[in-house]
Amino acid sequence: MSAEAAITGSAAVRPPVEGQPVLVECVSVSRVFGSGPSAVPAVREVSVAVRAGTRVALTGPSGSGKSTLLHLMAGLETPTGGTVRWPGLGGSPQGRPGVVGVVFQGPSLIPALNVVENVALSMLLAGAAPPEALRRALAALDRLGIGELGPKLPEELSGGQAQRVAVARVLACRPPLILADEPTGQLDHEAGDRVVSVLLKAAEELGAALVVSTHDPAVATRLCERWRMVDGRLTVAGDDRTEPSGGRREQS
Amino acid sequence: MIRPWVGGLLRRRAGRLVATALGVAIAVALLASLGAFLAVSKESMTARAVRGVAVDWQVQIQPGVDPAAVLGTVRAASGVRVAVPVGYAQVAGLTATGGGTTETTGTGVVLGLPDNYRADFPAEIRTLTGTDRGVLLAQQTAANLHAKPGDLVQIDRAGLAPVQVRVDGVVDLPQVNSLFQKVGAPPSSQPAAPPDNVVLLPQSQWHALFDPLAAARPDLVSTQIHIARTRELPSDPAAAYTQVTGAAHNLEARSAGGAVVGDNLGAALDAARSDAAYAQVLFLFLGLPGAVLAGLLTGAVTAAGALRRRQEQALLRTRGATTRQLIGLAAVEAGVVGVAGAVFGLGAAALVGRLAFGSVRFGTSPATALAWVLGAALVGLLIAAASILLPAYRDLRTATVATARQAVGRQRGPWWARYGVDLVLIACGGVLVWVASRSGYQLVLAPEGVTSISVSYWAFAGPALLWVGAGLLAWRLVDLLLGRGRRLVGRGLRPLAGKLADTAAAMLARRRRSLARSIVLLALVLAFAASTATFNATYRAQAEVDAQLTNGADITITEPPGTTVGPAAAGPIAAVTGVRAVQPIQHRFAYIGPDLQDLYGVRPATITSATALPDTYFQGGSARSLMDQLAARPDSILVSAETVKDYQLHPGDLLNLRMQDSRTRQLTTVAFHYIGIVKEFPTAPKDSFFVANASYIAQQTGSNAVGAFLVDTAGQNITAIAQRIRTLVGTSGTVTDIAHTRSTIGSSLTAVDLAGLTRVELVFALVLAAAAGGLVLSLGLTERRRTFAIAAALGATGQQLRGLVAAETSTLAVCGVVAGAGIGWALSEVLVTVLTGVFDPPPDVLTVPWPYLAAVTVTVVAALATAAAVAIQLARRSPISILRQL
Repeated sequence: MSAEAAITGSAAVRPPVEGQPVLVECVSVSRVFGSGPSAVPAVREVSVAVRAGTRVALTGPSGSGKSTLLHLMAGLETPTGGTVRWPGLGGSPQGRPGVVGVVFQGPSLIPALNVVENVALSMLLAGAAPPEALRRALAALDRLGIGELGPKLPEELSGGQAQRVAVARVLACRPPLILADEPTGQLDHEAGDRVVSVLLKAAEELGAALVVSTHDPAVATRLCERWRMVDGRLTVAGDDRTEPSGGRREQS
Repeated sequence: MIRPWVGGLLRRRAGRLVATALGVAIAVALLASLGAFLAVSKESMTARAVRGVAVDWQVQIQPGVDPAAVLGTVRAASGVRVAVPVGYAQVAGLTATGGGTTETTGTGVVLGLPDNYRADFPAEIRTLTGTDRGVLLAQQTAANLHAKPGDLVQIDRAGLAPVQVRVDGVVDLPQVNSLFQKVGAPPSSQPAAPPDNVVLLPQSQWHALFDPLAAARPDLVSTQIHIARTRELPSDPAAAYTQVTGAAHNLEARSAGGAVVGDNLGAALDAARSDAAYAQVLFLFLGLPGAVLAGLLTGAVTAAGALRRRQEQALLRTRGATTRQLIGLAAVEAGVVGVAGAVFGLGAAALVGRLAFGSVRFGTSPATALAWVLGAALVGLLIAAASILLPAYRDLRTATVATARQAVGRQRGPWWARYGVDLVLIACGGVLVWVASRSGYQLVLAPEGVTSISVSYWAFAGPALLWVGAGLLAWRLVDLLLGRGRRLVGRGLRPLAGKLADTAAAMLARRRRSLARSIVLLALVLAFAASTATFNATYRAQAEVDAQLTNGADITITEPPGTTVGPAAAGPIAAVTGVRAVQPIQHRFAYIGPDLQDLYGVRPATITSATALPDTYFQGGSARSLMDQLAARPDSILVSAETVKDYQLHPGDLLNLRMQDSRTRQLTTVAFHYIGIVKEFPTAPKDSFFVANASYIAQQTGSNAVGAFLVDTAGQNITAIAQRIRTLVGTSGTVTDIAHTRSTIGSSLTAVDLAGLTRVELVFALVLAAAAGGLVLSLGLTERRRTFAIAAALGATGQQLRGLVAAETSTLAVCGVVAGAGIGWALSEVLVTVLTGVFDPPPDVLTVPWPYLAAVTVTVVAALATAAAVAIQLARRSPISILRQL
């Protein structure tokens, strides 16, 4: 049985998160794009925390603010209101490659680098020596069963392959927090299922917290907790181990 | 569909459109500026040629023809402003007695001038001393006779009693050669020198003295009609030449053979039209590459955005857009860019014309001006079409939607590299240049008396092929370096990119095709700047050498022939304020076999204190070593190459020359030993001559008479010092200075127009270099915003992003500058060699304008650095928003 098959076949495991440190905490966080009459509030006063080991599905319709919330958590966006803190990560991940692993919604591989070089890049940015980065990149690809893609260029990959490479890039850096933004959005069901499996497997191996934004119910059911966003507001559907401090809870 | 598309382009892709339009504008502006250059230069050439002519036509009345009838015919001819008869009488000799001595000359010419002659032909006679009217002696005649105003001069008439006239003034005849030309004779049978002895008389007095001679000896007396024309001429020298020579022929035909026209105006325009042809040649050599580069720049700018354009096209195709619609959209974009670029370029050219040439005219006539404007605009539109429409059409024909969406693609070598086209072109170019060299690089042939001028355009093929071949070879080498030499590049980038050096090298390797295009473009632009500037600097240096060669030194005092001024006369000249050194040079004549040649006697140890002697003047040793030999062995002699060949001379051979001994007035044999070849020498003629030791000549001929004094002023206040020396020497010698020589010896091309052309060229080269560096890099990096945004999203620090950008920038800069320097050097050599006809004397080494080249390099580096800084700023902007946009 291949590693991929093993991952695909694995069930979501509910990690014990009680007492785990809070990795990221949003307190009344808002993000408004633009200003004046054309201002678009993407996230409105969201308060939420993610502990180590958490598995969260962030659901909601398109344009509900899922991606923006993930980007705020990753430090890639600056809130226009409220505060984002990273107590368990030793401060903002901005300028600290490898602290938070982000799987982006669209194509996020550098076109002029092949798969191995793309995976190794995040480690190089984090300060790894080139041979070490290369070794870990190959290992990460092998672990996800896509080692043979190493010499290929991004344009030669299918959508599913590209997303799995993006996951490998995250995996290779061993981050304590993985944020995946619609990783299956452009994939068919089977390919999407494989990517989610890969993500779960990676999080499990690393002991990392995982937050996956999706509007695919099938994906959401594979994660322990579900948060729902509507019009930029968070309606938390989760168990008592998540720590909502705003919004309305929903049971899945 | 077209309107929203164009609106979208203008709103969202304004940068791309503006950059492309700028490239088009540069090409249009360069071409139109060159049109202005050609127009202005032709106009000024005609004006200068005409300005230098004192008497437009000299009509020789044939024997037996009634002068009054011919004069009537001439005055009736169209375009004739003034026509007056001038008498020419040959006399047996002149004698002047004064100060207890009697001086007698040989044969001479006495002219009879109408009263208004000096007003009608002001440039023909210049008063040196005395009055403007009455009996005037030419300066050399006055010196020969030791005569001054108030003295009596006896004129000996063949077969008649001599007559005496009282001198009223001494004059200079600036155009003495044409004044005493043999009208109607071809240049080869014109007199070698004008008469030494000339007296000008008022017409009435002349008739009184020479009408009897005319009756007795009609062969010694003749009449010419001197004519000033209205000078309403076409501004193109060739057209003016055709008009003037046509009118002269018409007059000859109407006089039924009674008049032969000496066409001084036509002769001057003949030289000018040759210069105009050279201006055209220079335009082709120096101007066209600039325009081609501007076109390539536009193409590179467009190519930098080609990926985006292809992706947009692919998107439209997936939405059902037809080929026709897509071509239409590309055509509209090309039209917008082409028209905007052409309008802006023509405006810029008008500004350049105004600033550089003082004119906004683009042609010598409305028709040519319109042709240049339309031509330049058309080229702009063609460049826009070739840059935008052609790739779009090609993509539609060959690319699938899937391939169009690809960002990088596996790099395949270009077809020309597989077939070695670059090497073939270089080889062919080399052969063509070699073939052209065998014909002496005669690019412009303007046979005397022939209306049409032929320009050997074939000679352009060699440099053009070398240019293209060198560009492609640079491409191949860059491709090789970035591809196979990736590890080497990675190592080289470590100081800039640190641990990301290999990653940066990998990115460069995958993008090497577009990078190679940018690098080659940058290299060609730098080579264009370098070769143009080097050509210009070398030309200026040679013009200075020519002026020095012609004048001899900063200031030269030439003694009239036959005078016996000794070297001691250098003392008072050296005492003149501002004079640094004075060197006497003997000027004699010597027979070698039956040939009479000029011989210059110099003081070999000190000659270089007053004039420059470059090594290129000599063959068989350096200037210093040959002068040392002349000093060490006084009977040494330097001989022209032609004489060495004709007389089969070898170093050390005995050479017996016959020279006049001043004691016996007879020719005496003087023995010399041949030591080397002299090709050029200050004050010496173009043809064969000798250079020997002055002391030896003085000893052998019994005379130390000096022909000229060379004066060095260290290049300072030359005109003022020359004036002081003129005051000192009076009419006993002719004082010429290099500043005056510089403005007279050079063709009109030298003096005015090349300066304007090169100024325009150099500014355009600078603009192109800045644009090539900055624009291409900036557009390339803009297109790679995704890469930098992803790196930033992965957490890259500012330093890491700067390292990645710096890696690409420095690769572009280093490769571009190195390749540009190499191609520039090679092109400069070829340009100077092929355009050798423009140089006089041909240069031995290139004169490299280092300050300008440094300025170009600094501009390029600054443009690259600015573009890189902008790219870093863009990359550091919210990476998520960039990724969202792309």
